[in-house]
Order: sequence, then C-alpha cells, then structure tokens
Amino acid sequence: MLLEISKLTKTFGGLTAVNQFEMTVEEGNIVGLIGPNGAGKTTIFNLVTGVIRPDSGTIVFDDKNITGKSPHSIAAWGIGRTFQLTPLFADFTTLENVSASAYLHSRSNFWRTLFNTQAYCRNEAHALEKSNQILDLVGLSEVKNELAKNLPHGYQKMLGMARALAVQPKLLMLDEPLGGMNASEITFTMEIMKKMRQEGMTILVIEHNMQILDLCDHVVAINFGQKICDGCVADVTHHPEVIKAYLGE
Amino acid sequence: MLKNRFLADKRKITKAAIYAFLLIILLLLPKLGISIYYVHILIGVFLYIIMTSSLRLINLSGQVSLGHAGLMCVGAYTSAIISKNLDWTPWLTIPIGALVTFIIAFLVAIPFSRLRGLYFTMVSLFFGMAVLAINEVFEKITGGQSGMVGIQRLFGVSKIPYYYFCLALMIVCLFIMHRLEFSRIGLTWKAVAQSHSVASSTGINEARQRIICFAIGGFFAGLVGAVYAHYYVVLSVTTFGFFTSIYIFIYMMVGGINSFYGPIIGTTVLLLIQPLFHNVIREKYIPFIFAGVLLIVLYLLPKGLFGLPEQLRLWTRKLRREEKTALQEEVIHRAPRN
Repeated sequence: MLLEISKLTKTFGGLTAVNQFEMTVEEGNIVGLIGPNGAGKTTIFNLVTGVIRPDSGTIVFDDKNITGKSPHSIAAWGIGRTFQLTPLFADFTTLENVSASAYLHSRSNFWRTLFNTQAYCRNEAHALEKSNQILDLVGLSEVKNELAKNLPHGYQKMLGMARALAVQPKLLMLDEPLGGMNASEITFTMEIMKKMRQEGMTILVIEHNMQILDLCDHVVAINFGQKICDGCVADVTHHPEVIKAYLGE
Repeated sequence: MLKNRFLADKRKITKAAIYAFLLIILLLLPKLGISIYYVHILIGVFLYIIMTSSLRLINLSGQVSLGHAGLMCVGAYTSAIISKNLDWTPWLTIPIGALVTFIIAFLVAIPFSRLRGLYFTMVSLFFGMAVLAINEVFEKITGGQSGMVGIQRLFGVSKIPYYYFCLALMIVCLFIMHRLEFSRIGLTWKAVAQSHSVASSTGINEARQRIICFAIGGFFAGLVGAVYAHYYVVLSVTTFGFFTSIYIFIYMMVGGINSFYGPIIGTTVLLLIQPLFHNVIREKYIPFIFAGVLLIVLYLLPKGLFGLPEQLRLWTRKLRREEKTALQEEVIHRAPRN
C-alpha cells in the first residue's frame, strides 16, 4: 500500500470534521474520495499533506509515518497536491509557476546559485526543460509566458495540476480537478489522468463530478467525517448509504 | 524568433551602455569639481541605496520590515565598539559587524518567521525599538543617549576615498542582490511571498526561506551600518531610530517596490531633493516633502518612479485617443445631413 490512513480524527471546536477515518491507496491506482459538501474530504487532504495536524490516528505513506509532519517534508517524501480554489503563484507566468514548483529537484545549493556556476546553469536548464515537458503534457505550452492570474479558470486548474506534477510525486492528490471546467476541458483532464496512471502514477482524487468515477479503480465514500463504504465504483454508487447521503431519505 | 533575439540583444546592449555611462559619470564626478558637500551627500546616497535595496530584498519573501534601521544600528555599534575597544582595524571590524548583524537577524527571524503580514511588520518595528533600548541599557559601552565618539576612520580625513569605496561597495552589493533576486533563490522567495500554502505544497520550507532572506537583508544593513560608523566617526542612536526605518521604506515605495531599480531611483531622488533645493527647502520640512512625494507617487504612479516612463506613454496614448475621438465627433457633427 502506498498510503494507509487509520483511525484519523480531527475536531474543530465542537465539530468533528473527520472521525475515525480509515482508507488505503494502492500503488498505481486512481482512487476517488467522494461525499457531499462538508463531508470532510478536503480536511482529509489537508491532514494527509500536513496543512493541519490530526488529533489522533496515523497516516503512513510509502512505509513512513507522516502523521503531523510539515507540508514541505511531506512534499519532499513524494506527495504532490492541488487545491480546490486553485491558489497559484498569481504574479508568476505559467512557466515560472511550474519552474518554481520544481524547487525540490533544482539540486543547487546557495553558493552554486549565487555564483551562477556551470552546475547551477545545467540544473536550471534541466528544470526548465522538465517544466516545459509538463506544460506540454497539460496543454499549456501556448500560454507559458502569460501571467497565471490572467489565465481562464480551466487553464488555472490545469496549471495547478502542472504545479503538482513538477514536484514529481509518487502520489498525486487532486482536489476537485474538474470543478468549473467545460466539457472539453473535463475530457482533456481525464485523458491526462489516464495517461499518468499508465505511466505508473498513483492518484487520489476528490470530485463532485461523477464522470470521474469512470477513471477510478477504487472509491471511498464519506459523510460527516466518517467512511460510509468503499470498494469498486459499482458497489459504492449503489450503496444505500451513499444514495441516502446524496439524495436524502 | 530571430527578430526577438535581435531585440533582446539590442536591449542588452542598451542596458550595458546605460550602466557604463552612469559608471563613468559617477567615477568622474569628484574630478569634475563638484563641491565636497555633494561628495558627502553622494556617499550617503550610495550607502542608503544598499539599505533600501536590502529592505526590498527582505520584502521579496513577503516580509515588510520596519526595523531595518535597527539592523543597521547593530552593524554600526558592533564594528565601532570592537575597533575602539580592541583597537582592531575597521577593515576587519566592518565584516565582523556585518556578520554579527547577520547572526542576530537570523536569530530574531526564527520566532518572527511564525508571523505574517501586519504581525511581522509590528514585531520588526518593536525589534528596531528594542535595539535602541538595549543600546541605552549598555550605556557604558555604547555611550547611550550621548552617542559614541572617537571611532577609527576607515580612510583619512578626505572624503574622496570614501566616495570611491562606497561606490564600489554599492556596486558589489547591488550585483549580489541582483544575482539573488534573479536566480532560483529569488524565485523561491517570491513564491513564498505569493502563497505560503502553495509554496509548502511544492516542498519549499517557507519559514526557513523567510529566515534566510531576513538574515541576508540584515547582513547588508549591518554592513552599511559598519561602514557608516567608520565614515561619520560619531554614532548617535537617533540616526537609527524609527524615522530612519520609515524613510528607507518610503524610498523603496517611491522608487517602486516591484522593481530591482526602484529603491535605487527612490533613494537617489529623495536624498537629493533637499541638498539640491536647499535654498527653498529647509531640513525641517523634509518629512512633509517625503510624505507629499509618497502620496503623489501612490496616486499617480502605481509602479513608483521606476514606472514613470511607462506611465507617461500610457497617458500620452490616452490623450491622443481622446483627441482623435473628439476630432471624429466633430467631423460627424459637421457632416451634412440629408
């Protein structure tokens, strides 16, 4: 298992946002995390990526206990993520966004950078080439010199994904990657996700758009911070608790 | 493609020509017979350009510091005290002063790094005040309110060697700061400034980056302070007070906070206003003048004085467009109607 979450609990004041939550993510799979608004999906993402610390429970990633570790350490261990509201480096160009996100792989220390050594130039050229490849993959090459804040919403979402890919993660966590996208953008994004799975990437995805289920190998449904059920797509979508959570009694 | 490359090359050549021209002028100025008073003023301009640029360097990581003069004070007193009490040459105590400031800036930046925005600005302001208070506590060594006198000179009485030394120091410091800003280090700092959560998610230890950035900014401030001590030979706490920090901040804002050249332009213009117009502007009116210039710049020039040529082009274009529209309307108005 690449990711194992067990008995994860997080409370905010009197509200239990995540309650004894358990799930696993197998390597090479696309796993969907679904649930109605306020179910605690993004909180689980934030707990896994270290943005907030859990009250109890453990998160094991790639055989390492990452519970309560800082976000930058978790990123360094191989978890890349996107955000629901697409925060980006708004004043950077598209290319700079990806290039800055390749921080972990720039491999130049302070002095090499300061003295602009050959090794630094080589590393930077490599990082730039890698960033351009990622932009090619997500179809943003044509707008690579545009400021991120001037891009349309769908492009910004794709840039968020490109940014996460620049981390070269083992596990990619996507928070509503299809939110606010038009039909062709959705198809394109799903194609990219499929391609990434073929290349061996593991993806954990939160999404309200049920089209995403076509891609998922495994789905976990959550409501009120607790897991309702998990399994293959057909099992979960026909589960009475899931139907109740989405449509009511 | 070729055209773009040609334009980029042309821009580079123009830039290099401007730099060379400015350097020649600055090198020749003392030989051109300018009075010693202006040599003194220019030495101050060179030193304060480093100060303002280093404040902007700290700002690259999203930290607005109002305690920069405090860091300058640390460098000045460290160098002065060591050279005076141990009789060490300023050539040794100046780097020591800068290094001590770097260490102190690094240490204070550790708790500061937990704060952002206005909260950081507030503690940086208190840091500046605390430095002055500590200065008074150790009155026996620092001279307290009465100040410190009898500090060794870096060169003789003549101001000319100081002029060339400070000019060289400014060029070296600006070169390093330019290199820092336009390398991966600067890119990382700017990323941290724009979104700490996104930066962390890409593996950037944003707290560490802000600490390093503040400490490097502190190094340059300490360096300026140390040189200042061995040039003026007299130190007074009032030199490093709250107003100095505010003035440096104003120089940066007036010049343009988003450009590397902004602090250079802002500091030069504002520090030369009073000496150039000393017949009209008395020193006591300086705060009003600075506040006025700052207000005008904030209202009319969003990119500071650095953005003035671009803003002028925009205004001219707008004016031309308005004239054209007026002319077209007049033509339509005068046209015979059926």
